[in-house]
Amino acid sequence: MIRMENVTKVYKGEVLALQNASCEVQRGEFVFLVGPSGSGKSTFMRLLNKEEKPDRGRVFVAGRDIGKLPSWKVPFLRRNIGCVFQDFKLLPNKTVVQNVAFALEVIGSPRSVIKSKVPAILELVGLSKKMHNYPDELSGGEQQRVSIARAFVNRPLILLADEPTGNLDPNTSLGIMTLLDRINRTGTTVVMATHDRSIVDKMRRRVVELDRGQIVRDQSRGVYE
Amino acid sequence: MSLKLDYVLRETASNFRRNITLTLATIITVTISLTLLGAALLFGDAVDNATVRWKDGVEFIVFTDPEISSELEADIRRQLEDSPEVSGFTYIDKDEAYAEVQDLLGDSPELVEVITPERLPASFRVKPSDTLPERVDELAAAFRAQPGVARVVTASETIRAIEDLSSGLRQRVIIIAIVLLVAAAVLILNTIRMALFSRRRDIEVMKLVGATNWFIRVPFMFEGLVQGLIGGVIAIPLIWLTNNFFSVINDDVTLELLRGFTVDPSRVWTLGFQMVGLGAIVGTVGSGIAVTRFLDT
Repeated sequence: MIRMENVTKVYKGEVLALQNASCEVQRGEFVFLVGPSGSGKSTFMRLLNKEEKPDRGRVFVAGRDIGKLPSWKVPFLRRNIGCVFQDFKLLPNKTVVQNVAFALEVIGSPRSVIKSKVPAILELVGLSKKMHNYPDELSGGEQQRVSIARAFVNRPLILLADEPTGNLDPNTSLGIMTLLDRINRTGTTVVMATHDRSIVDKMRRRVVELDRGQIVRDQSRGVYE
Repeated sequence: MSLKLDYVLRETASNFRRNITLTLATIITVTISLTLLGAALLFGDAVDNATVRWKDGVEFIVFTDPEISSELEADIRRQLEDSPEVSGFTYIDKDEAYAEVQDLLGDSPELVEVITPERLPASFRVKPSDTLPERVDELAAAFRAQPGVARVVTASETIRAIEDLSSGLRQRVIIIAIVLLVAAAVLILNTIRMALFSRRRDIEVMKLVGATNWFIRVPFMFEGLVQGLIGGVIAIPLIWLTNNFFSVINDDVTLELLRGFTVDPSRVWTLGFQMVGLGAIVGTVGSGIAVTRFLDT
């Protein structure tokens, strides 16, 4: 589903974010990206939805070399990749249901599809009762559930989660992990960057460790370190 | 992918409400720029109208008696042709004179109705070889005494000044207008960029979930279009007021020289609609360019 071949990414000609990294992720896998801040985890993710371009090497998503993708096709690549962030990136002046519906509206989904899909996904993430609340009326965990709902509502092939539990307490984090696990079980490939040792150790999934831009460990059913 | 009209309208309406101050700032900028540009162009027209008779070095005009016989008229013509002091002249017959009056008095149709071609004198517009005021006056006086001549009008000092200025003035007005237009475009671009900056989160999310660039751009362009249209429409009455100011100059008898310093109302309307169109174009294109900065290219 995802393949990186000898990828190197240098920011502004001096900051080495990724160095000759090669990695392959199969369809339906759940992968933790671990490593200290600045080790290249976020760059890894940003390369996958073409927010960044590699300086050297090639990136394949769903069998296609995305370096060869013309820029007008990039939005269509992104429709297959859901993104979840530490800071949720919800729109503060839209309600929960509007935030999720927005993701479908901007890709041109018909209203009937939006009407059936949005309540269903909010049911899945357990927020049916707060559909008409605004993000600032929700807890951190609830906001992250909205953002996961938005990322998953059009059933992407891949879900990228950049420290999704970074702002949440351990109990809430577990709830989010249960949700991501459930999404993974529907066949969606999940790549999650994290610093959360207890979660990685508990889930026992594949772990890819980055250090100063290099992949230093790739372990199935691994632990944090 | 289809761009849904109701989506565009809804987004535009909510943006207007959310960024009301910036929206107003953009509209006011457009209005002021277009008003200044429109007024500058009108002023150019007015100068042209006021000096139309005195173009191309014409220094005095010999009006013939409306009932002049063709022999007397031929006499005058021969004299103009033979005189070494005349470098050239143009004959304006009754119909041409009537057409010119119609042009100048277009906004007072009741006056035009009273005037008929027969009642207007034909005239010779004379370019003397020597433009020294004293020599021109002498020459004019010679024709004034000629039988069949009703009146000789010389370009006064002021007219000469205006005439000298008019070509330069026209050029300057056009330069000012262009500068104003560029300033307006930059201001609009900046205002829209500020509005966009306050909404970069929306744009970021749109990009993340896979909205195409055009899908992101079109609501902003539509917003710019509406702002440009509103600004242009407000500019029309302001341009009207400017034209009224010209009329005040015109009615002041002490400023007789500036007679004709006015512009036809239809011209004001045409100009107004041109300004609205220009506002719409500048608004739409400005937004389109401004939003591109926030998109992947």
